[in-house]
Amino acid sequence: MANNYLTSESKKLATWYFTFAAILFGAQLLFGLVAAIQFVVPGFLFEILDFSVARMVHINALVVWMVFAMMGSVYWLLPDETGIETVGIGLGKLLYWVFVAAITVVVLVYLFVQVGPADITTIWFINEGREYLEAPRWADIGIVIVVLGFIYNLYATGMKGNRSGIITVLMADMLAFAGIYLAGMGYTDNISMDQFWWWWVIHMWVEATWEVFVGSIAAYGLITMIGAHRKTVEMWLWIEVAMLFGSGILGIGHHYFWIGTPEYWWEIGALFSALEPLPLVAMFIHVLYDWGKMQGEQDAQGKEVSVISNKPAFTWFVLNAFGNFVGAGIWGFFHTFPQVNLYTHGTQFTSAHGHLAFFGAYATILIGMFYLAVQGKNGIKVMYTTKKSIWATCMIFGGVLGMTAALTMAGYVQVLVSRAQMGATWAGYFDGQAGVWFAQGMDWRLIMGVITFVGFIVLMIDLLSIGKAAHHER
Amino acid sequence: MVQEALILQDIQIDDFLTIFVSSGLVLVFGGFYVGIYTAVKTKLLKNWAMPFAYLFWILTCYCFYLMGSLMHVNDFTAKALMVAAIGLLLLPHAVYYMQDQVHKKNEH
Repeated sequence: MANNYLTSESKKLATWYFTFAAILFGAQLLFGLVAAIQFVVPGFLFEILDFSVARMVHINALVVWMVFAMMGSVYWLLPDETGIETVGIGLGKLLYWVFVAAITVVVLVYLFVQVGPADITTIWFINEGREYLEAPRWADIGIVIVVLGFIYNLYATGMKGNRSGIITVLMADMLAFAGIYLAGMGYTDNISMDQFWWWWVIHMWVEATWEVFVGSIAAYGLITMIGAHRKTVEMWLWIEVAMLFGSGILGIGHHYFWIGTPEYWWEIGALFSALEPLPLVAMFIHVLYDWGKMQGEQDAQGKEVSVISNKPAFTWFVLNAFGNFVGAGIWGFFHTFPQVNLYTHGTQFTSAHGHLAFFGAYATILIGMFYLAVQGKNGIKVMYTTKKSIWATCMIFGGVLGMTAALTMAGYVQVLVSRAQMGATWAGYFDGQAGVWFAQGMDWRLIMGVITFVGFIVLMIDLLSIGKAAHHER
Repeated sequence: MVQEALILQDIQIDDFLTIFVSSGLVLVFGGFYVGIYTAVKTKLLKNWAMPFAYLFWILTCYCFYLMGSLMHVNDFTAKALMVAAIGLLLLPHAVYYMQDQVHKKNEH
């Protein structure tokens, strides 16, 4: 990087977090590609990097890069919101390196050790065997220490400086985000109980605390990028918090349909899952409303210029509102009721929803934060798009939409053949996978995955070069 | 004592596509309803567009009904769907009212 206009240590630390997040983002896509190839060519890297390992790195890297980017986002906005430097920034830097070292060791163990003797040493040193949260016990404890330090920094800064509505929401949300992780750290040999608590972490993260985090970041982005009125934005934020927690917490019921929990979870899951899309609709309208309102005020003054101060970042923020609505909302609502979930559970339908929801709800807004950091680091007043940023956006978004369509098609075949016609039998599973529509779905998923990965490379090149472009206003 | 078991009624194979499409359209039409309502209120669209907003809400309700009946939902879930439909109807009214009040406080 040429010039560094950042004077805040907190913002410098944020760029460290964003950088490591981007590296893990690349790892996530790379190992996703390996797993996608293995669906098409089953012998690919057989007994070297089996599907189980590639998939494990793919989904764990996804979670960890997002956690890194979220922590970076908080360190980025803290000085702006509180008006002071982050308290305990030295501790924050130390914990960053601890976190990076721990994640690096965990990934190396995943890749080179892969499996253990299936006793307690495996849980402590190799992996815990819980999807998305496979970090071994020692790393779990390390993550808790790192996050406690992060929470201390957030609280100490929030209490010392100006505590805006956004900071207040983040203080509550990040505490819940960290606390819920503890639910996934215990051990029980009862698989139903284990799944019960494991879902606390996954569901309460992605359908409650992470969504509230996205609401907070969207609020911050609207204020900084289009000059939206703080009181209006923060009022929206509180409504979203109430709606997200109100529907999201007990929406966990839709994960409890088939794991051995009591049947009353069917009713609870159905009711709250029906309500869960409402805040997503509200969040979508929120972004468009504020954008239209601010642009309208600008136009009324006779100034025919855009109110947006960072076009690439704002593009990703708008895609977030859209992707959250479509990926988490529509693709989630497809199969959220027990009556239909009985057929879709564990098919590629779930995978289609997972891809579009994680990308639409979280990856988009975090990429937007990367662009905000590039703008700040390079001292740019108004940042415009480049050809590379447009290509990257189109390829990544188009690629993920394409993967989602392909997986939905494959899942539909599984629902009809494996479940409805053949009653979820062993033979039904293989008949479903052997169908031409399923096979073509896997081919198209791979093609779209390659497009996404190329888009990612273009995105990285753009992030490293866009700050030096001459057409920005400085 | 024999515990009462909840048994789900099978979904007909020909009904799956309709269920998935109508489930998706619930949110698409719901989004149109909220979007048009907001656009009219913020003067981005003329007042004559407002009936179309409510038309989309009616279509949303129909999709709720269609997917619910094809899925053979029980009485409780049918009520949950009705609550969701009414919640969607009230949502933009409540949010716009609060939004408007905050704007008035800020600007005057």
